Amino acid sequence: MNAPSGQTLLIAPIQDLDIPLLEQIGRDIHRVYGFQTDIDGLLSDIRFSYDAERDQYYSTPILEKLQGLAPPHALKVLAVTREDLFIPILTHVYGEAQLGGRACIVSTFRLCEGVHAPLRKETLYKRVAKEAVHELGHTFNLRHCRDQSCIMHYCRTIKDVDRKSNELCRYCKILLDDEFERLGLTGRVPSAR
Amino acid sequence: MGSTKILIVDDERIMRESLAGWLERDGHEVETAPSGETALDLLKESRFDILLLDIKMEGMSGIEVLKHVRTTDPDVAVVMITAYGSISTAVEAMKIGAQDYLLKPFDPNELGLLIDKILNHQAQARENLFLKEEYKERTRFESMLGQSRTMQEVFRLIEDVAPADSTVLITGETGTGKGLAAKAIHSHSPRCDGPFVVVNCGAFPEHLLESELFGYQKGAFTDAKTTKKGRLELAHFGTLFLDEVGEISMRMQIDLLRVLEDRVFYRVGGTQPIEVDFRIIAATNRDLETAIKGGTFRRDLYYRLHVISFNMPPLRERKEDIPLLAEHFLRRFSQETNKQVDLISREALDEMMLYEWPGNVRELENAIERAVVVGKSHRILPGDLPIFHPDHVACLSDSTLKEVERTHIAQILDQYDWNISRSAEALGIDRTTLYSKIKRYQLRKPV
Repeated sequence: MNAPSGQTLLIAPIQDLDIPLLEQIGRDIHRVYGFQTDIDGLLSDIRFSYDAERDQYYSTPILEKLQGLAPPHALKVLAVTREDLFIPILTHVYGEAQLGGRACIVSTFRLCEGVHAPLRKETLYKRVAKEAVHELGHTFNLRHCRDQSCIMHYCRTIKDVDRKSNELCRYCKILLDDEFERLGLTGRVPSAR
Repeated sequence: MGSTKILIVDDERIMRESLAGWLERDGHEVETAPSGETALDLLKESRFDILLLDIKMEGMSGIEVLKHVRTTDPDVAVVMITAYGSISTAVEAMKIGAQDYLLKPFDPNELGLLIDKILNHQAQARENLFLKEEYKERTRFESMLGQSRTMQEVFRLIEDVAPADSTVLITGETGTGKGLAAKAIHSHSPRCDGPFVVVNCGAFPEHLLESELFGYQKGAFTDAKTTKKGRLELAHFGTLFLDEVGEISMRMQIDLLRVLEDRVFYRVGGTQPIEVDFRIIAATNRDLETAIKGGTFRRDLYYRLHVISFNMPPLRERKEDIPLLAEHFLRRFSQETNKQVDLISREALDEMMLYEWPGNVRELENAIERAVVVGKSHRILPGDLPIFHPDHVACLSDSTLKEVERTHIAQILDQYDWNISRSAEALGIDRTTLYSKIKRYQLRKPV
């Protein structure tokens, strides 16, 4: 791994989450983006973003809070929560990211749909890791991709999440390389290209 | 056409911002307006594909904005956003021209599907328009005339570059005849017996441009019932003319670069590499070097296209060609309309020579066509020309070129009640160019 020293992608679990889930997210992030990951519970209480009428959590203020809390060595911060997230105009979101910014969040809430034991956890972990990599992609300025197998494809249903791969398509890889070059980053593992 | 331009109009900041963020992540270019009044100002300055319009707002209501937009900008798709309880108003809005409505908060899936539907519909309409223009362009081919030194230079360049197989980039303002120059290069090249395939890159949203260029394999996506050859394949052994190449999205630029480098591509959903042999001619009215600096055009692709490059001169820089071109168009339109108009009066010709022709040869062609149609005698008189405004002749004489252009555009806009499509047609420029000129000259519709 040739990530520049001090530059990590920080995973911030908001509640107690399964360690294997966080490990899977960390592995996938490392594989796709080439950076080391750390786990640090930066934010444990998100009641400030709770909307009682909708019984959901408004994700945008959480991102703003995370951005302020992120330590200097963290290039980006990914929060993971069990709560159901929304933005005011939409009924729900799987996650949200600051486009080209520093913070993003992913929720496991709606990704549990249709998973049954004994494969429950394995399926859920894969889905959450995909959406985590997806949201981090937005912080690297990647937009949604039309390629249904690309991890940056916007999934309208859980089936779409299961169908897409856990990789960036060749276009998004090039756009990510361009963004790394623009940011002066060299953290990408060569095999990911 | 790269990303879709969407304007969100909502007086609730939180709604505007959350929707804008989501749409930006979805790859669209988004602007927001907190009121109907601001939205109308923005619509005057820029071109939008979709307007997401809240019904209930302080001041001007969504319905009022919709009524206004339908008269001035019939091409923009309007989607009403409404809260539960205002559905009847939303339905009413659809009767006066809204494409659809969304009940807030809406499911992201519903929003995505609706945007896809609108974009596909708009692409179809643009393609139809393009095919009509292409047909007109074929009949216009003979009008690449000019005795001026600058045009003689262009003809010499075309003769020089035609026999080589190098990629050519033609720059120049709208209406200067870049497409004609491309066709002329093809006709004088060793590939002249092969096809000349035109792709108007500005006419398609990204995913449709991909299918147009690369074609698709049966079953590649839901609507792919049969395998379709793309224009790259159709251009095999001929020339591929990429018009408005500056409008291609960053993602499609990657694909295009790959084809230029390898001369091999895959159909969408295909696994077989397809080898192609064609010459590329590209054209743009954009300054690509500025686009590179702005991060909207890839430098590597620019170098691939910019092997041989030349600029088509604007008509104002070759005014000595105006009589020749005007005569040519006069003959053509009097024949087509079956009207006995065989002369251009000295005064009308003087007007044409004084005018700066921002829409270039295309504007001149439109002006003569109109004059032939509306003229009452066998001679074209100054009053028959859409460029003639007696009140302004005196005060324009000392004006700069930009002032003349600004005044003329303002007059045409007033004449057509700020109907952008009709004004653009009268000026002989496309709507995008007109919008950018309105913005540049800070023209405002009178209240």
